[in-house]
Amino acid sequence: MSAGSHLAKSDHVTRPRETLAWGIVAVLAALAVVIVILGIALGSTWLAPEKVVAVLLGSGERKDQLIVLQLRTPRVAIAVLSGGAIAVAGYLLQKVTRNSLASPGVLGVLDGAALGVIIFLAVFSNESNALVIPIQWQPVAALIGAVLAIAAVFILSGNQASSAIRLLMFGIAVAAVAKAATMILMLVGPIYRTTQAARWIAGSVNEINWTEVSIVFASVVPLLLLVLAISRHLRPADLDEVSVRGIGLNLPVFRIFVFFLAAALTAVAVCFVGAVGFVGLMAPHMARMLVGRAVVPAVIASFLLGAIMLTGADLIVRALFAPTEVPAGTVTAVVGTPYFLYLLMRKEKTSG
Amino acid sequence: MSSFATAGTWKSARDWRLYAGLAAALCVALLSSLLFGYRIYTPADLWQAATAFDGSEAHIVIRDHRLPRAIIAPICGAALGVAGVIMQTLARNRIASPDTLGVNAGASLAVVAASALLGVDSIAGLSLASATGALLTSLLVFAIASTAGGLSPLRIVLVGVTIAGLFHALVEVVLTVREAELDQLLFWLSGAFVDRPLVLATGGSLFVAAGLLMAVFLVRPLDIMQTDDATARTLGAPLGLVRAGCIVCVSLLTGAAVAMAGPVAFVGLVVPHAARRLVGLNHGAQIAAAALCGALYATVADVIARFVIYPLEAPVGAVTAVVGGVLLIVLLRRRAA
Amino acid sequence: MDSMAQRVSVEDLTIAYGEHKAVSEVSLAIPTGKVTILAGPNGCGKSTLLRSIRRIHAAHSGRVLLDGIDIARLKERDLARAIGLLAQSPSAPEDMTVAELVRLGRYPHQSMLQPWSSADADAVAEAMFGTGVSHLADRRLGTLSGGQLQRVWIAMVLAQETDVICLDEPVNHLDMAHQIECLDLVSRLNLERHRTVIVVLHDLNLAARYADRLVFMKDGAIVAEGAPEALMTEDMIGTVFGIRCQIINDPVHDRPMCIPIRNSSPRFATGG
Repeated sequence: MSAGSHLAKSDHVTRPRETLAWGIVAVLAALAVVIVILGIALGSTWLAPEKVVAVLLGSGERKDQLIVLQLRTPRVAIAVLSGGAIAVAGYLLQKVTRNSLASPGVLGVLDGAALGVIIFLAVFSNESNALVIPIQWQPVAALIGAVLAIAAVFILSGNQASSAIRLLMFGIAVAAVAKAATMILMLVGPIYRTTQAARWIAGSVNEINWTEVSIVFASVVPLLLLVLAISRHLRPADLDEVSVRGIGLNLPVFRIFVFFLAAALTAVAVCFVGAVGFVGLMAPHMARMLVGRAVVPAVIASFLLGAIMLTGADLIVRALFAPTEVPAGTVTAVVGTPYFLYLLMRKEKTSG
Repeated sequence: MSSFATAGTWKSARDWRLYAGLAAALCVALLSSLLFGYRIYTPADLWQAATAFDGSEAHIVIRDHRLPRAIIAPICGAALGVAGVIMQTLARNRIASPDTLGVNAGASLAVVAASALLGVDSIAGLSLASATGALLTSLLVFAIASTAGGLSPLRIVLVGVTIAGLFHALVEVVLTVREAELDQLLFWLSGAFVDRPLVLATGGSLFVAAGLLMAVFLVRPLDIMQTDDATARTLGAPLGLVRAGCIVCVSLLTGAAVAMAGPVAFVGLVVPHAARRLVGLNHGAQIAAAALCGALYATVADVIARFVIYPLEAPVGAVTAVVGGVLLIVLLRRRAA
Repeated sequence: MDSMAQRVSVEDLTIAYGEHKAVSEVSLAIPTGKVTILAGPNGCGKSTLLRSIRRIHAAHSGRVLLDGIDIARLKERDLARAIGLLAQSPSAPEDMTVAELVRLGRYPHQSMLQPWSSADADAVAEAMFGTGVSHLADRRLGTLSGGQLQRVWIAMVLAQETDVICLDEPVNHLDMAHQIECLDLVSRLNLERHRTVIVVLHDLNLAARYADRLVFMKDGAIVAEGAPEALMTEDMIGTVFGIRCQIINDPVHDRPMCIPIRNSSPRFATGG
């Protein structure tokens, strides 16, 4: 949102070098592994972590294998994939719009998906408020809602889509309309639908099977590879820095492509876990503050942080609140924010 | 002579027509708010209720249900509109809104906590809780954002959004664990002008007036703050002080609005855009236009909320979101590239 | 006569960021009504010094004097009316109009009770006329070219009506034509309106061409100051910038010009 002469900030601010950045990524990866193992270990019975590791590495007792591989790992896997995908989507959006408030939630995708879900619940319930088709179809409704929302944003914005801030505002508008429609449908509907929808909107990691996990895996991984492929075209500038001459592609087509990537990642991510939007806002900021400006480490760090936040939140929810099903999405904020506030308070004063 | 000779004074003829037009539209909206609803009354009914009150159903509805709404809606709308203008300039971010400071979230958390933990259920009690929550949250955001690094727009936004997320999450957790209250609080948590006793408006208006007065003092520094920090400082603006003032002003205005009506979505986000489109970037004009537009917007939304799912009342937050979303799209599309 | 000749002077000024001293014990008298240009390699402290003259940085020790008064004791408003600064990378919303931006320059002269007066209107009109941007008054900043935009920013500083104008690297990102245009404008403002101008420049030859008084800085200290002819010697430039060069006389502007010598140039293989 600025015009005028633009030069990089003077070098009074120290930034972690790339080696340090990769070191931090390694630490995050280790942390992610720990949380994944804990997530698998926790369940109706507590499985010792060593046994979990044994099963994952190929050995281990047969009965443990059953529990770990069939019952628990799919759930943790979907949390990792979805949390990570949304985080990367958020990173892309913040980079391409250079706006610190950009997140998948602002694109309209989340609210479109939520509307899809509530329409699904409304249309396919009978008078006694039971679903007439299997709940497995809910993710499809979410995906359709997400896709329609993205389409609406791009169609409405027309040739203004190349302006990042404009596209964000169209996204906000579409999100608002979708959210309002959802609110009204929730109010008008019976209580079952309300709680079901509210749970989806908050975001929760549910029981899931390997087929569904592999669908998400097959969708997310190619998208992530695409992101890494184009990441050298993303400018490494800071968010509060405006660099017109910086390296990186400035073409409108490229920007629209990045938006599509972010929207696609989000749509796939929310299908099964619901609208865990906060991760998409917070994880990229944390990644930036930990890892610095270099793009590829920041993308990977975002993915890891998103995965950690969602998996960790699910872990906390199951540990503390079972058997009440508190949606993990609500707790992600509790997991991430205290540490993020600590990072913010610790930040070095930059020179005037 | 070029426009810049007279611009800067907002007394040029074109501006007077604009403000007069907005004020007239507001009057029409207020009248509609009194006349239209579950039952439609005539201006004659209105006149008689005011001059010869006789305890009939129509008169009671007008006095006890329509009148409070017709007063609270525009006051909240104006407060949120002005808070939105200040917030977007403070944050140097056009998608910021008063909620970016976390004020709405803090108010919601206080309400939910008061209801769930302390068993408060009176409107006055919940209102007090929400005002307290709003003000404490803005204090917290201010305190954290002022630590190492200084009070910069980016830090204010990041801290505010973080705290907002945290508090929203806590609200969700409490609501999920205590599912029975979901429906009832859900209505309140999305903001409503309905069923608010008039007495709320008196306290709230005081804070809104204080906030608007502060805003008047902030107008000139806000103009300067649209540039970068170095430029603003060389022009002589005391940045830290002004930013602190902005946070106080936004929390006064938003806290009051939330205490009167709960968190009404979207008003603080869209109204500044409309105001800028109408009067440009001079903050004196922006704030005046935002106050009028916000009042108009909230009142119109309140009237529409009565008819969307007739005979039920729709939450006004849903209506402001829809109307605002459509309005935003129209504003954006009409802009020359 | 002496005190008139030096309204602004720097005495033993030290500016430190934590342990690192960006400016150490610098003393400098700025000649009134002349163009003083600060030059030096990256990180020599020239921008920091300039900003300190406008009190953007607080002094660690030493002081800056305006008309004999320590600027640290001046009120912000008074200082803003006396010394104007165009920062290195200024920014403003893209949809702000040129007129709105130039008007901001009047801030130090206005108050709550007197938000806009005819003096303000006159100053703005004059500033825009002097920088040749009057015809752009209602254009939005985002639609301007780099050169036009820079002139608009200068107009804003001009509208401040300060006797001293500081410009921090005003031409770095402009193309050649606009660099000349901008510096010619600055030179004209100095000559026609008798403003004291202090500029930080990267380009040594531009500095030599436009300066009445040239100041070389290195590692936070002033190495030399004086007329360009006196400072532009091969030894001096070697000391300050660490390059070998040959000095010739620019025949067009009658000023010294520096030709840096390539390391691999066959004609100067033995160096000296």
